[in-house]
Amino acid sequence: MHPIANFLHELQQLERSPVASQGSLILNAFTRHTRFDAGALYLRDARGSEMRLAAKSQCVAPEILDGAAEDVLQPTPNVVVALQSHREAVGVLALAMRGNGGVDDDDISMVRAAAGFVSTLITNQRLLQETREGEFQLNYRLWELESLYDIGLSIASTLNIEDLAEEIMFRMISLTNARRGALYLREDSGAFTLYRSFGDVSGHFLGRELNDESLRDGKPLTFEQGMLVAVPIKGSNDAIIGVLAAAERETREGGIGAFEENELRLLSLFANQVAIALENARLHREALAKQAMERELELAATIQRDILPKSIPTVEGIEIAALSRPARQVGGDYHAFFIRDGVLTALVADVAGKSMPAALLVSALHAVVQLLFAEGREIGEIATELNRHIHRWSAENKFATMIMISIDQEAETLQFVNAGHNPAYLIAGGKIDTLKSHGLPIGILPQTRYLAQTRPFPAGSTAVLYSDGITEAEDVAGEEFENARLEALLEQHLDCSSSTIRDQIADAVDNFVGEAPQKDDQTLVVVRRAPVPSS
Amino acid sequence: MTEELRVSVDRRDGAAIMYTKGYINNVGGEEIANRAYELMDGGVRTLLLNLRETKIVNSIGISILIEIIEKMIDKGGKIAFCCLTPVIHKTFQIMGLANYAAIFTDEDAAVKELAI
Repeated sequence: MHPIANFLHELQQLERSPVASQGSLILNAFTRHTRFDAGALYLRDARGSEMRLAAKSQCVAPEILDGAAEDVLQPTPNVVVALQSHREAVGVLALAMRGNGGVDDDDISMVRAAAGFVSTLITNQRLLQETREGEFQLNYRLWELESLYDIGLSIASTLNIEDLAEEIMFRMISLTNARRGALYLREDSGAFTLYRSFGDVSGHFLGRELNDESLRDGKPLTFEQGMLVAVPIKGSNDAIIGVLAAAERETREGGIGAFEENELRLLSLFANQVAIALENARLHREALAKQAMERELELAATIQRDILPKSIPTVEGIEIAALSRPARQVGGDYHAFFIRDGVLTALVADVAGKSMPAALLVSALHAVVQLLFAEGREIGEIATELNRHIHRWSAENKFATMIMISIDQEAETLQFVNAGHNPAYLIAGGKIDTLKSHGLPIGILPQTRYLAQTRPFPAGSTAVLYSDGITEAEDVAGEEFENARLEALLEQHLDCSSSTIRDQIADAVDNFVGEAPQKDDQTLVVVRRAPVPSS
Repeated sequence: MTEELRVSVDRRDGAAIMYTKGYINNVGGEEIANRAYELMDGGVRTLLLNLRETKIVNSIGISILIEIIEKMIDKGGKIAFCCLTPVIHKTFQIMGLANYAAIFTDEDAAVKELAI
């Protein structure tokens, strides 16, 4: 290859070399392929206006030619050529010949021609680089827009808060070129808690800034000379539901720098999308919780339905009528009937609480009562054993009020145990008496003993057992039905059948309550000894 | 979440598979670039980047990946990616990486296609 061709070929390597090594590549080519053996090359920064020393060979050269450099080039150059293309100065090449022979016109011509070639190469490469960067920036803006759009779609369809938080964090870090980031969510108490983070957020991150009043404006706030940015996430009603924070924005030069206006605007747009997504996730979470509660209630209702008597027992000489209306699919009321040796026992209990916990206690109470009756125990003993069992095996705050009555037709007596329950009514001989509580509710104290009390219960007598859902039923104004209305009703139906009394009470309660929702379970058990037929 | 990128390389005859784990940002991108240039200097001309454990990449990381691709193309080689998250896949398409580097769903398909 011709020496000049070699020279140009070597210069052409410029197109494939990194910017940092271009200076030495050019100067080396000139010192290798011309008679000049020393020199310096200055190139204008592609983005700036300063001329910087790009390479030097066998000489002393000041760093910046444009500035107030006091040093001068040594040895003194024989030729100084401007690297210029399209009237734009891209650099200056200074060459010196230290050997003998002197510089001739051929040397100058060679340098000028090669310098023109190099100038064109540098200019072309810079144009190419600018085009690439322009294309990259265009793509980058497109990517930002696409990301915002995608975020809207993606995070709005991500209903799991854990997945959502991760997606938010990844997207924010990626969009802002940050090295660290955090998502804070506001709790019901008003305090912000760190929910997700990226990178080390242990120090120099948001702390008291989270309570900054200016967060309420909803605008991005910058701290630490713009190196840390916080953007409030505003939910419905302009309430701040969280804060996005990003720190240490990477720069193209390899370091970290302050967030720029464009990134703050982007982060604000992003926070708007996040707000919608978080609200969606919250609504979804609440819907799931509601569904779970409904499933639990359904299950509890099934348990309770299986426990409550499916039919009223038939006992000769006794009319039995019952009513059970749970308030919330499942409640804490329980009733049962037992027949042993011709003696009918009726039981009404009201367990503290609602829903599944109450249903489980009712279930336990049902099982123990069944066993104790099967063992042939009398009702006082049953109540005592039941109390001991429930106290031992149930949670601390779980208890039940309970009334049991046993009707012995032969002895014409009614035995009862009332453990903290509403007073039952005993209608006999045209008078109304009450069977008041004479012991603590079941499950309060382990050592409580219950003794059955006995009352006469001749033919034609009626016992009315009920839960507080009857007497405490409220109308729309919040007024309770109360015992007075119940007693007045019983006074009017002293000689009626059990089913008539039950229906009259149920209708009266319904009429009283009107449109008001039922707040508590309602249980009613009416037991009547058939009157002696008149001869 | 960790922010540091970890790189491991499975070197094969004239080819290599590079596995990344973590954030491809400036620091992570440089780490990939250094390892990629070492491999190129060592004669590797087919490089597959498996980004299975990378969930996040920023614009500076992308620009470094573009530089690596350009260098490899200059040397007559090729670079491909596999196991990208949907977000990164879309990012690569928008940012133009997909124009110069093949993208495969999984490593097996990439290895087969690239004859690694």
